[in-house]
Amino acid sequence: MAYNIFVLVKQVPDQGSKAGINPDGTIDRARAKRMLNPFDRYALQAALHMKKAYGGSVTAISMGPPPAVEVLLEALEHGVDRGFLLSDRRLAASDTLATAYALYKTVTYVGKFDIIFCGLQTTDGDTAQVGPQLAERLGLPQISYCEDFSIQNGKVQARRIIEGGVQRVLTEMPVLVTVANSYHPLEYKSFRGAWRVQQLQRRQDELKQYIQTVDLDIVGADSERCGLKGSPTIVAATEKVGDIGGNCTMHEGSAPETLVRDCLANTNINEFLVTSTS
Amino acid sequence: MTELDVSQFCPKGDVLVVAEQILGELQPVTMELLGAGRLLADKMGRTLKCAVLGYNLGDMPNKLIEYGADVVFVADDPELYMYRTLPYRRVLVDLLESLSEPPHTCLLGSTTTGRDLAPRIAAHFDTGLTADCTELDIGPYEHKSKVDPSKVGLYPNCLYAIRPSFGESLKARILGPWKNPQMATTRPGVMIPLKPDPGKKGEIKKIPVKLLPEDYRLIVEETIREASKGIKLTEADVIVSGGYGLGSKDGFDLIRELANCFENSAVGASRKVVDLGWVSYQHQVGQTGKTVRPKLYIACGISGAIQHRVGMSKSGTIIAINKDPDAPIFKFAHHGIVGDCYHIIPEMIRQFKELKKAERGVKAVVSTH
Repeated sequence: MAYNIFVLVKQVPDQGSKAGINPDGTIDRARAKRMLNPFDRYALQAALHMKKAYGGSVTAISMGPPPAVEVLLEALEHGVDRGFLLSDRRLAASDTLATAYALYKTVTYVGKFDIIFCGLQTTDGDTAQVGPQLAERLGLPQISYCEDFSIQNGKVQARRIIEGGVQRVLTEMPVLVTVANSYHPLEYKSFRGAWRVQQLQRRQDELKQYIQTVDLDIVGADSERCGLKGSPTIVAATEKVGDIGGNCTMHEGSAPETLVRDCLANTNINEFLVTSTS
Repeated sequence: MTELDVSQFCPKGDVLVVAEQILGELQPVTMELLGAGRLLADKMGRTLKCAVLGYNLGDMPNKLIEYGADVVFVADDPELYMYRTLPYRRVLVDLLESLSEPPHTCLLGSTTTGRDLAPRIAAHFDTGLTADCTELDIGPYEHKSKVDPSKVGLYPNCLYAIRPSFGESLKARILGPWKNPQMATTRPGVMIPLKPDPGKKGEIKKIPVKLLPEDYRLIVEETIREASKGIKLTEADVIVSGGYGLGSKDGFDLIRELANCFENSAVGASRKVVDLGWVSYQHQVGQTGKTVRPKLYIACGISGAIQHRVGMSKSGTIIAINKDPDAPIFKFAHHGIVGDCYHIIPEMIRQFKELKKAERGVKAVVSTH
């Protein structure tokens, strides 16, 4: 059985880097260092694992401004077969609902699939909404917070996280899966994969066979349902949250015994100790 | 813009809270949502409704009334015994469509269940949803942007969904007054529940459960609750966390030993050590892990990168132990000890034992009298 495996990836600002972080805390996306959304690394691993274990091909799909092609190249290096980038100025300021709509049109345009893997959430939005909203648009069952899965008789058996526990579920395909970060970390890209992509980047014509950039017209999306117009929510105001603490009482330069004694004397830490029962 | 007296406007629709229960056990976030929902409903002069789905719910609807609901919709059916996306989605969509007007606001918890279910409902109704709110309010909003002329206007009663954004260095107020229900999920442990009022009157309405064949596409084979496996990070009073500065996996033996000194304590960890496999993901605190706010947080060998900080910065007292006096964690901890974890932690444990011994001594003296 050759499965058609889709994986959704997003390029996000690297929050570990100071580049492009304005003094008011907002992001200057043009100057910020860019990276593959850390959560998507698990989705990518799941897609590649499925291909390796059960056969098929992996298609990575992304939405974003032109530089987002970088995450598709990265996916290619890891062993993804092809990529699609939905890029269109009319998508600017899309909220999760508008994003899910645009991705729905893109997924439908790309073609038939058995399974769609998504990261649990993104580090720039942190909503975890786009996956389930896309599943709703596609009318699919979903497995969110998936931390392991296998294919049994053409069905997906998965373990997913629930509050204070786990659940084992079984579902037919097609299905949308959001992968938790307790899934296996993404394996290092192979030297061969990296070399191949390096060669491809020198031959743009050939690269186009692997990575296609599409816009709203090509995928047949209604631009009224995208971007600011298609978004039912807006960010009305932002305010910077001040640093908490800020007045750290330092204990240093003495023997551990003194340091600990000083610290304990100045905190309420003792209140939390296990009360002796004997 | 001058402050409007919003109470003079009567908005359309009530406030609806979707309760969360697991195997018959009402989740704390539900009471928190009812507390928050009550304030919103009172501000608008509307009723607070609550929907609860499950099987053999028994007295649960009354409990929801005690915690603030005026009306409780009950879907009690064997098919709803365990949470599954599609059947729960079906029942809620049917409920919302059966109401004479859609709720003004619809709230769920940002738990694994709420975050699974809320986006499906929002997408179905093409309405706005804000995730992981830390504050909710009702207030006016004047939309001036002419990008979409149909949206321009003054909206007297909007749901203000306030949430941290971009690694929590910013708070964003998110609005979507153009379409009801205005939806939001709230983080567990943030909203304040009301004190239960056993005398409170309310109405309980049974709602129909009519599932379609496509709602059965996913089967739950087994649900394993891990409550017995130690205290959950988000519910612990004290968290002792370890980071890369511990040098190896073995360092977590020391972290566990320190955690065991405290009542209701749990072990946390930074992303890096979880990635290295020193401890499991369930222990991860921070942006890609859990958001915690214990009364006491002890960070051992954790540098305090923003990704970790956003998950624990609201803790009551933060004590940091680190070799590096310039570690970022000392910028937001309340107490910092500069030193080697392998010297400081054993010393801390020793002093705790000493304290206990002294306490026991006092008790022994008291008991002889």
